[in-house]
Amino acid sequence: MTQVDSLDPILLTVITNRLEGITREMGAGMLRSSRSPIFAENRDFVTAIFDRELRMVAQTAYIPVLMGASPFAVRAISDRFAEDVHEGDVMILNDPYHGNNHAPDITVVKPVFFAGRLQFWVLTKGHHADIGGGGTAGRNPDAKTAWEEGLRIPPARLYQSGKYNRDLWEMILLNVRLPILVEGDLQCQVGACNVGERALWELLRHYGCAEVDAAMEEILRRSEAQMRQRIREIPEGVYRAERPLEHVLDKHSGKRPTIRLQIEIHGNEMVFDFAGTDAQIPVYYNSSFPNTVSSCYIGLFSTIASDIKVNHGSMRPLLVDAPLGSLVNPREGAPTTQCTVATCGTIVEAIWLALAQAVPHSVQAGWARSSAGAGAALNSRSGRYGAFILHFTKGGGGATFGFDGWSHISPVSSMGGSRVPDPELHELTFPHRILRYEYQNDSAGAGKWRGGYGACVWLQFNDATTTLSIQPGSCAEETAPFGLAGGRAAPPGKIKMRSASGEVIEVSEAGLYHPRQGDVAEFYSAGGGGCGDPYERPVDAVFDDVVAGLVSVENAARQYGVVIDPKTVTVDLEASQKMRQRRALVDV
Amino acid sequence: MSFKLGVDVGGTFIDLALADQTGQCRLYKTLSDPEDLAGALLAGLEVAARDQDLSLLQLLSQTELIVHGSTVATNTLLTKTGAKTALVTTQGFRDVLNMRRGLRANLYDPKQSPPVPLIPRHLIFPVEERMDSEGKELLEIREDALRRFSASVIASGAESIAVGFLFAFLNSSHERMVGANLNKLKPQLHVSLSSEVLPEVRLYERVSTTAVNAYVTPILARYLESLERRVKQAGFAGKLLIMQSNGGVASCDVGKRLGVGSILSGPAAGPVAAIRYGCIYGLANVISLDMGGTSLDVCLIKNGEIEITKEMEIDGYRIALPLVAVHTIGAGGGSIVKVDARGLLQVGPESAGSSPGPVCYGRGGKQPTITDADLLIGYLDPNRFWGGRLELDIAAAQDAFRRQVAERLGMDVVRAAYGAFQVVNANMVDAIREVSVRRGHDPRHFLLVAAGGAGPIHASAIARELEIPLVLIPRDASVMCAVGQLLSDLRHDFVRSYLTAVDKVDPDRVHGLFAEMSAQAIETLRSEGIAQENINLLLSADVRYLGQFTEVEVPLENDVLTPEGIERLLSEFHRRHEALNGYRMASAPVEIVNLRLVGTGIVAKPRFASDKSRGGQLSAALIGRREAIFEGGRTEVPVYDGHQLPAPCHINGPAIVEQSTTSVVVEPGYQLTCDDFGNYLLYREKLTLEDILAGLRESAK
Repeated sequence: MTQVDSLDPILLTVITNRLEGITREMGAGMLRSSRSPIFAENRDFVTAIFDRELRMVAQTAYIPVLMGASPFAVRAISDRFAEDVHEGDVMILNDPYHGNNHAPDITVVKPVFFAGRLQFWVLTKGHHADIGGGGTAGRNPDAKTAWEEGLRIPPARLYQSGKYNRDLWEMILLNVRLPILVEGDLQCQVGACNVGERALWELLRHYGCAEVDAAMEEILRRSEAQMRQRIREIPEGVYRAERPLEHVLDKHSGKRPTIRLQIEIHGNEMVFDFAGTDAQIPVYYNSSFPNTVSSCYIGLFSTIASDIKVNHGSMRPLLVDAPLGSLVNPREGAPTTQCTVATCGTIVEAIWLALAQAVPHSVQAGWARSSAGAGAALNSRSGRYGAFILHFTKGGGGATFGFDGWSHISPVSSMGGSRVPDPELHELTFPHRILRYEYQNDSAGAGKWRGGYGACVWLQFNDATTTLSIQPGSCAEETAPFGLAGGRAAPPGKIKMRSASGEVIEVSEAGLYHPRQGDVAEFYSAGGGGCGDPYERPVDAVFDDVVAGLVSVENAARQYGVVIDPKTVTVDLEASQKMRQRRALVDV
Repeated sequence: MSFKLGVDVGGTFIDLALADQTGQCRLYKTLSDPEDLAGALLAGLEVAARDQDLSLLQLLSQTELIVHGSTVATNTLLTKTGAKTALVTTQGFRDVLNMRRGLRANLYDPKQSPPVPLIPRHLIFPVEERMDSEGKELLEIREDALRRFSASVIASGAESIAVGFLFAFLNSSHERMVGANLNKLKPQLHVSLSSEVLPEVRLYERVSTTAVNAYVTPILARYLESLERRVKQAGFAGKLLIMQSNGGVASCDVGKRLGVGSILSGPAAGPVAAIRYGCIYGLANVISLDMGGTSLDVCLIKNGEIEITKEMEIDGYRIALPLVAVHTIGAGGGSIVKVDARGLLQVGPESAGSSPGPVCYGRGGKQPTITDADLLIGYLDPNRFWGGRLELDIAAAQDAFRRQVAERLGMDVVRAAYGAFQVVNANMVDAIREVSVRRGHDPRHFLLVAAGGAGPIHASAIARELEIPLVLIPRDASVMCAVGQLLSDLRHDFVRSYLTAVDKVDPDRVHGLFAEMSAQAIETLRSEGIAQENINLLLSADVRYLGQFTEVEVPLENDVLTPEGIERLLSEFHRRHEALNGYRMASAPVEIVNLRLVGTGIVAKPRFASDKSRGGQLSAALIGRREAIFEGGRTEVPVYDGHQLPAPCHINGPAIVEQSTTSVVVEPGYQLTCDDFGNYLLYREKLTLEDILAGLRESAK
């Protein structure tokens, strides 16, 4: 038993900051040496340290949805190998039914031994350029089962007691389309684990195991106490909400699979109960249980606990109950690729809508769901295929009491942690031309605090080598980012394919496309939802957006009651006041 | 007699280093005036002149060179007091600057706003034009369109214009056409072209750097014009050079055109000085540490070369120019000590700065700071601070620590103050790890040069933590940057994008691009008065494995990239990649991304004056004993007057050596010697300096 009472509070700060520093050190190595734009440019990975009891003690989350699921992966690996864990082992896992979010995110962990004893586990998890299966760039909208989505890797050893497990590496690399990228990123994950291991050895040598153990125990205790205190401040009760997924089950009824959530607050504990959520579907939106739990953490931390460190202590007070066989806890075999983005977003929306009934001032209006494409195309310079994710289409963030939403920041699963590729590098790498990449006017939800703006992206194909998996998000009235406290929902986004001959198809369902030369994909991502009555937005703030070309003169009048003379571009204050008063009278 | 002057103009102090013909250097520290920096500088020069028994006119008329570092550009950006700036960009890409690549630093916080745009959207003017990814014109700028948008740009009232078009780094003709037309219509407009500021791939990075340039340059230019005029009026007829963020200096005219290059004008000089201190002992691997009132600047120097970065962001604004890789954290004497929501003691990043300053200054500061902690644990003398010009209020510091820190942690005041000392040291250790361990360097193989007002207090504790074998504290540590200004060569960075697989390199094209850059470099340096024989050109290429996103810079011996040249480039690239990232891929295809050229103009440098004549007894320098706190507890330690110490001399820790603006703390288990140049050296007791130097030189091989 460690002696918490005697722990020096200064040493506690030093060790805590050091553990967090080590996770950043691990991430820096990955950013520097990766060959996949998904790691190096988009930063689609996380790093973390677990103690020997598998409790997460420190982490750096570039993409939060990957973080909350990582304890499940470490547990699955530890369970699988039990007593058979040795110094120099490096383990891998990607299967969503063994503790992972979804298949393209590969988890690599390494047990860290010190003085012959297991002390820590270090973890990295990141999104790979390909994972085999049907589809492209790890996305297969046509998959009806997990086996069509890609290779399923159970807990396995990449290295055994320091020895390279060649059989497994070759097995994996033979089953993916872009083996050079996948091998490179696996190497870079193993390297990051080695960096973490070396730094932890140094920490243990310097302070001793007992002090480090005591510090971790104490920091987890304090984080838990902080989170419980925050929960206690939420009015006790049961809060319910539901949100539909983008996918339409049946064209005639227009019915969409729906996530139903009931949040129960009892004292310093909270339960997120998903009873009543629709059954799993044979389309890639099912959320593996780890992904569901991780999405719950995003909903919670982004609302009442943004200043609390994410670790085992602060995660503990939240209990998640998800019925087996439902969208949020599918039985083994259901496809899951879109859960990290689309389903995570839907779960977070339900959490925010439920919590809005309890702590309205802390909650944000809806963020745009990811409405994007990913794919692969021939790089004529290298003569090889490369993979891309079109993060150019990031939409708007939702407003909250006191603050407008951020523009071009979504989806919620990354919370603004994923970086958009550079348009020049994209054109230099892929046979595409970007015709437009800028804010879309009138895309934000109106409010006293408005949502952020979405983007308009036009991508032209210069040859016929591209395979594109398109994924609409927030493209229907029911799925558009919701408003709060009188704030308006953002208008739905759109995706169109315009052929070289001028034919236009609107894309409303996820699907695979093979554009021909001269075709243009047009993405209009939604903005964020607004918060508060738009008529209470200061006239100057509305005017600024009109001058910036982001709100049209018509919308300024219709949504905000601000009358602007389009010729002189000046506000007609008198007319505006009248308009705002008239609405007030109607409301009474 | 002819003088050279290094000046560091900050918001709180003006630091001056005055070197005479013989290379003797005198140092001065005077108060600054943010409202009239040029006036404060002249007042400082008066002080230096009086000390030399000269009038200001006499001093300045005998001065041949002033090298000037300032915080003008930085503060313009930090305080948002730049020029009214407009941006002209490619139609369809209006918001690239303010989209900031869709990132935000603080992920979960719902209550935050993005940084205020330097250029609001209504001042961003899209133009119908387009180049393709090979630099070929896809859409020309029509005459009538040019007229139309030029008129609106002028009508907007902007005084500075940034122009940033897609692929302008490959073909700048459209940018040049727009710039020329705007200047024809309104000659006093300041125009910054992205193809001139940073002709390099990556649109956001290039446009953001150009926007910052457009924003700060008019302000810096106005200051430099007034400074030039006033020193000239005061009798100065020599050359005025500006310290650049890349560790070199440039002419005033460059400063007036490329203000963004001066954004780290102040801190960039520290590492330059640190290199020279290392040279005294033949050490080329140095970590420089400058701990001032609000921040700590750390920089790593390997083989005598300052690490340069292109990844800098200042207050949320991205600057992708090559800058001295100074890692800055909020850890200075003024950093605020507090207990956070978790009940953990934290230091910074907020700072009480110089106004209101630490509680003990008695100037209205209410929150306890590191300087207060250093006072409470006996490292500073309340009656001798800044040569006795500022009496420190120990009771007020105690009171603030008791109420705001000690009581919340359930410990006594001195323990809490020592805790703050330990926590800020841990943060400083982390900053050094950031530039060393995290970039693959072992700090145990480096000399630590510690400067700034607070650096010498913390240096030996930090060295112990990181097992750094040797610390050098410059004689006047608090003005190291001013010394650095005098030691800097002129330096200009040039870059051309040339994206190509190594097996498809066109040697003629490479030769042409390097020829273009060297002509530019030589012309600039000649116009700054550098003779041909003092011009050095360094060539390099940014290289990566095909598909990678981060390049490794590989130096080139010449511009000849024939198959043999490529062979050499490749082997050096693989070697560097392995050293940096831990692996190489010998058979993977490799590509070049950019070609770079650094033009350096070597200037004559003052020497450190050796001062062997300082005889006398150590006991004569002993001014008393006082209690101070160390890891082992409370100890009575001898206190020496640094200005009276004989050279050479030898002091065993624990001990304190007092300087006019700081103290050098010698931790238990450490010893201090004073060298012939008046610098202090700190290292482990029971070791000899010769052994340590031999070890450091050995590890550098």
